[in-house]
Amino acid sequence: MSKKLTSVLLLSIAVLGLLGAGEKKPVLHVYTWADYIKPELVKRFEKQEKCKVVIDTFDSNETMYAKFKAGARGYDIITPSSYMAKVMFEQGMLQDLRHEFVPNLSHVDAEFLTLTMDKEMKYSVPYMLTNTGVAYLKSRVSNVEPTWAMLERADLKGRMTMLNDMRETLGAALKFLGYSLNTRNEEELAKARDVVIRWKKNLAKFENEQYKSGLASGEFLLVHGYSGDILQAQDENDDVAFIAPKEGLSMASDDLVIPKDAKNSELAHRFINFLHDPKVAAENTEFINYLCPNKTSYQYMSEEIRKNPAVFLDPETKAKSEVIEDLGPDNAKYSKVWDEIKAAQ
Amino acid sequence: MAFRKSKIVECAVTAPSFFWLTLLFVIPTIIVFAIAFKPADPYGGVGGGWTLHTILTLSNPNYPAIIWRTIWISIITTLFCVVLGIPTGYCLARVSARWRHILLVLIVVPFWTSFLVRVFAWKVLLHPDGFLKRMLVALDVLRPDSLLLYNDNAVLLVMVYTYLPFAILPIYAATEKFDFHLIEAARDLGATRFQTLFKVFLPGIQRGLITAFLVVFIPALGSYVIPDIVGGLSSEMIGNKIAQRTFVDRHLPHASALSALLTLAVLVPLIAIFGMQKRKSKEPPTLIETA
Repeated sequence: MSKKLTSVLLLSIAVLGLLGAGEKKPVLHVYTWADYIKPELVKRFEKQEKCKVVIDTFDSNETMYAKFKAGARGYDIITPSSYMAKVMFEQGMLQDLRHEFVPNLSHVDAEFLTLTMDKEMKYSVPYMLTNTGVAYLKSRVSNVEPTWAMLERADLKGRMTMLNDMRETLGAALKFLGYSLNTRNEEELAKARDVVIRWKKNLAKFENEQYKSGLASGEFLLVHGYSGDILQAQDENDDVAFIAPKEGLSMASDDLVIPKDAKNSELAHRFINFLHDPKVAAENTEFINYLCPNKTSYQYMSEEIRKNPAVFLDPETKAKSEVIEDLGPDNAKYSKVWDEIKAAQ
Repeated sequence: MAFRKSKIVECAVTAPSFFWLTLLFVIPTIIVFAIAFKPADPYGGVGGGWTLHTILTLSNPNYPAIIWRTIWISIITTLFCVVLGIPTGYCLARVSARWRHILLVLIVVPFWTSFLVRVFAWKVLLHPDGFLKRMLVALDVLRPDSLLLYNDNAVLLVMVYTYLPFAILPIYAATEKFDFHLIEAARDLGATRFQTLFKVFLPGIQRGLITAFLVVFIPALGSYVIPDIVGGLSSEMIGNKIAQRTFVDRHLPHASALSALLTLAVLVPLIAIFGMQKRKSKEPPTLIETA
């Protein structure tokens, strides 16, 4: 047994040596979130294109943006959230996409594109979608209804969290009131503020990270959070369930973009094309639990994931949902109201 | 001649640390103060020109509550640490060398674990379904629906826990040098226990107390991780606000203005204490006279 292992190891070293001695292969540098692509797919692309893919990860849009602002070079593909992609585009940090290299763009879900900021995919292609909803522990929370009003439950006082993110949390309240979560109307924002202040009375805290493990460990019974995070908590604890509030929710998309100074722009285009190959997209979605908005790919997915409300919203809820946009100078209106919420007793 | 030579040696010895502090502390602090007077651009950078606008927004009615909370949590933390540090330091100085060794190791051992891991451990200890909570409910100390985590008391508890060793060590160092015969002498001369403590012992370890105060109070003012992890809805401190302004609002001038405010909040008590000490050292040392 160990002899066999040794020979396999030796053989692989020899193969690696041969590969290294051969012609220098092109390298594609990808900068993305952790665990955001199925590893086998990367290998398949490397084989297909005879190239090497190097993946580097970031943990927040802001970190990634700060790195680029400070002059980071050498990445060929990045996956910022749409609002950040827009900011980077406006700063002239991104290349225009050459659609002739990406024939698979025809499979991208047109219905979703109407919601995005870059409808013609001029500089970005949606890669993965996430919904922000509510999750709870089935054994501990009764009378569950798919509505944001769940956050008002006095019987769960001190055991609920909402995101420490002004756009998401105010967005939930705006949706609850039937307004757009990208509103610039200060009156609507003031009403949403009052709703969040009312909800706040029953919350344990505003929390972006610990709510996942908190929910899985039973510390929190009901949380406001991202679908991908919640599906991860589900892996740890079967008792976790997701609800998509019927008033509509916020959908976010992480987009594939190519920085201005990418060295392997052509290969980067081919990588985008590869990821939007319907079968590849379906395989990727099944693996990472986020949804790649590739319409043709949906038919290749398992029944289980197609019925998962955290991945596929029902059409009615989806019609009421929106994508959070960067509001530029009007962001300050949200900051102001958010400060008031934080200060309220 | 000898005087000048010692002066040169003194300069040469302090030059590296002086250079280090100037480069990595004074200059960045000046930059932070400068950015506070710059306008922000919507892309998270710093715009051109100068403005007073950011400084004026510090009068925002929501700030006083946060500033007040930052100050009182820091003061109470410092008080707890110093008050707990005095008997601990006294014990350490009085026990046998063997025990002192063991106790000192026990005080330092927690530092072998990452600070963050220790804060997370408190989350496990104070878990609403945890052992401690259930025990306190069984003992009728707590009601089943009361919570130990995510409030100001949890922040205070974890802050005292975190900073206590920093108070104990300087107090112990000062107590060790204290001449305990002075206590016997005071008692012989008719001082009560109370008077001995306040008129002889505490003034005798004054330096240790001041150091303990500073090394707890200053980092406590800048706390950010502890209120973030164990704090609740209304446990925000200035540190958390600075983080929000930097990462969420992408408004560096605002973050800088708050940081500048924090720097001033640290500098003012520091200068006050040094001023007081200087005045004290000009007076004749009272302790020796009474002894």
